[in-house]
Amino acid sequence: MTRINELPVTEDMNLVTAVTHTLRQEMQRDPSVRVMGYDIGPIGGVFRATEGLFDEFGPERVIDTPLSENGLLGVAVGMAMRGERPVIEMQFLAFMYNAWGQFIYNLANLHQKTGGAMKVPLTIRATFGGGIKPLPFHSDSTEAYLMHTPGVRVVCPSTPAQAKGLLAAAIRSDDPVVFLEHTKMYRSFREPVPVADYTLPLDKCRVVQEGSDLTLIAWGNMLHYSIAAAAAVAAATHASIEIIDMCSLAPLDVAPVLASVKKTGRCVIVHEARRTAGPGAEISALINEYALEYLKAPVKRVTAFDVFFPENQIEDAYLPSPGRIKSGIEAVLNYQF
Amino acid sequence: MGEKKWAEVRPSEDYFRILNPDGSVKDGAKASVPEVSREELLRWYEVLVETRTFEAMVLRLQRRGVLSVAASSRGEEACGLGAAAALQAGDWLFPAYRQLSAVLYWNAPVDRIMAGLMGNTPEHIREHLPLPPELPHSVNMMPYPIFLGAYIPLAVGCALADKLNGRKHVSLAFVGEGSTSEGDFHDGLNFAGVLESPCVIIVQNNQWSISVPASRQTAAATFAQKAVAHGLPHERVDGNDIFAVYDTVKKAVDRARAGGGATLIEAVTYRILDHNSADSSAVYRTEDEAEYWKTLDPVERFEKYLFNAGVLEQATKTAIEERAEKRLREEIDRGRAVPPTSPDDMFLHHLQGEPGWSVKHQRDELACELAGGNPFLDMTGEGVQ
Ligand SMILES: Cc1ncc(C[n+]2csc(CCOP(=O)(O)OP(=O)(O)O)c2C)c(N)n1
Ligand SMILES: [Mg+2]
Repeated sequence: MTRINELPVTEDMNLVTAVTHTLRQEMQRDPSVRVMGYDIGPIGGVFRATEGLFDEFGPERVIDTPLSENGLLGVAVGMAMRGERPVIEMQFLAFMYNAWGQFIYNLANLHQKTGGAMKVPLTIRATFGGGIKPLPFHSDSTEAYLMHTPGVRVVCPSTPAQAKGLLAAAIRSDDPVVFLEHTKMYRSFREPVPVADYTLPLDKCRVVQEGSDLTLIAWGNMLHYSIAAAAAVAAATHASIEIIDMCSLAPLDVAPVLASVKKTGRCVIVHEARRTAGPGAEISALINEYALEYLKAPVKRVTAFDVFFPENQIEDAYLPSPGRIKSGIEAVLNYQF
Repeated sequence: MGEKKWAEVRPSEDYFRILNPDGSVKDGAKASVPEVSREELLRWYEVLVETRTFEAMVLRLQRRGVLSVAASSRGEEACGLGAAAALQAGDWLFPAYRQLSAVLYWNAPVDRIMAGLMGNTPEHIREHLPLPPELPHSVNMMPYPIFLGAYIPLAVGCALADKLNGRKHVSLAFVGEGSTSEGDFHDGLNFAGVLESPCVIIVQNNQWSISVPASRQTAAATFAQKAVAHGLPHERVDGNDIFAVYDTVKKAVDRARAGGGATLIEAVTYRILDHNSADSSAVYRTEDEAEYWKTLDPVERFEKYLFNAGVLEQATKTAIEERAEKRLREEIDRGRAVPPTSPDDMFLHHLQGEPGWSVKHQRDELACELAGGNPFLDMTGEGVQ
């Protein structure tokens, strides 16, 4: 594994340009990588993540498909089991609901069903998350449905450089991988991204900031809100907060979480997914099962609510804000047994 | 902007047409000109004017940041209207997002539409824009589905419920040609055939599904012929000819009502503008085809017919336009004047009765947060303070 900071030549990219750059690089590297989906050809995706690829690679490498998620997924699995490496674009994560059958009984199950004889080296790039006030169902954050399915990897980058390494690793992985791209983050900030190709591990979370009083776990856009909230708390209280970017959602990278909580004794999990049976429920359960004796306070989940993603006017009250996260941190920090 | 674009394949004009693009009646089609009263023709014209005016107003408001996304049906208005006019009160209408003319024909409250576009919840809109107690009997209108094609099976089931109870109602659903690629479309058609559901499904083929042209959506020659495999009758009409749409849909609706089962109708038209306000079609198509289709405009065509037939004259036209402009402006203002939706609305109407411990707790958390408190201080499950 190359270390990113050893790669000197960089270019400033945001999340969406990092995705395009990585797709291009992987397509140049490996002719079996084919980008597939509807609205990914001449238009370059509704978010422009495949911009320019149709011109450069032509219609057999950038396959503009009919409008069917179930068809898209099923056909791509068929290609993947024959050695192609399809990278399909799910225009919005919620449209996966139309592809649930193919996702579970083919994409996720084929490897196990054939006793490991067949592989599905396929990547689903799906946009997800709230904050841009689009139409209903265009902001869903339902990663828990994905994590509940065996046989599939789920990763979620929170920076452009991380996106590049994780997407390249996803494409090169022989397992099916869902790669979650947060719509609010697409153009929210740029950072230098190494131009040379590199991968990052698909099964490792990332410690963003070390600390000793509380472990704060988040991913995607919520990581940025969590960093802001932690800074606000630290400024007021001098609390030392450890922040973990849970970019590897499935398989969940459990060991660093347990190690961190054993050190800090406190944990807050942040996600914009609904709370009940959300990813935080699993993380909290693991902490209670394996780190109970170290806990100095209950584990709290700062999340969205158990309702459908609401209308534009009230979505800000639904999504966790830095303020809500700060409240969660303070409640846990101030708790006395 | 991309270099390579999908070539557009102009659809065959070998379809049912009554009105020529210049507003004259096609040779041999005289007998098909539907028998519609003068008042009804003027009502149709008014709805067309209202649809165009309202959509233009909404696009302007979108550009000013008043609402987040807006779509337009410009150049396609005859499809929704011609079909809706073939229904009767008590029937069920399942529009997609490009049939504003259909719902305006049946007097959908524009102030409520506007408040919805502004991102208010339905509960909130109902509370602040109450309907008059004595409403004329109308068709039942569903909201449009976000998941494309998802309401086709619903319309089939909805119609079946009427049939099984001996009620003589028909359900009519719209779907874009792109959406016919979804499994839901085929599931619906198949069930409609086997269970003889009294419904009419209209494929509004506007040649584009965002950036994907109709020629890449299916290898079939037409969308109408998708009915063949499901054993359903099918028709293909000039979707920019309101008479052709009305006449064809009316026959299908009448047949369904009389127990003759479902029909699939393809209405051939063209999406003149961008997919919606978030789209920019110059990236993936040239304007050449749009220019051609502007010569087939459904509103101008109908207007010319009305002038020729002596139904419409300049003074009436101006009066209709002014009335539409004034009414819509008032409706829009009323919709915009609705106070902001309360965040608590998000918890409503997921279940009937008690929502359960977690939702109740979360609702209290949000209330606490909005009141400036810390919602996470409940460490015992006894409740948020
Ligand atoms: C299941 C599903 N997939 C994708 C989308 C995103 N989407 C919205 S409109 C659209 C194009 C639909 O084209 P068509 O059916 O031809 O209708 P038109 O917009 O042309 O009226 C797409 C892909 C969606 N809303 N639902
Ligand atoms: Mg279309």
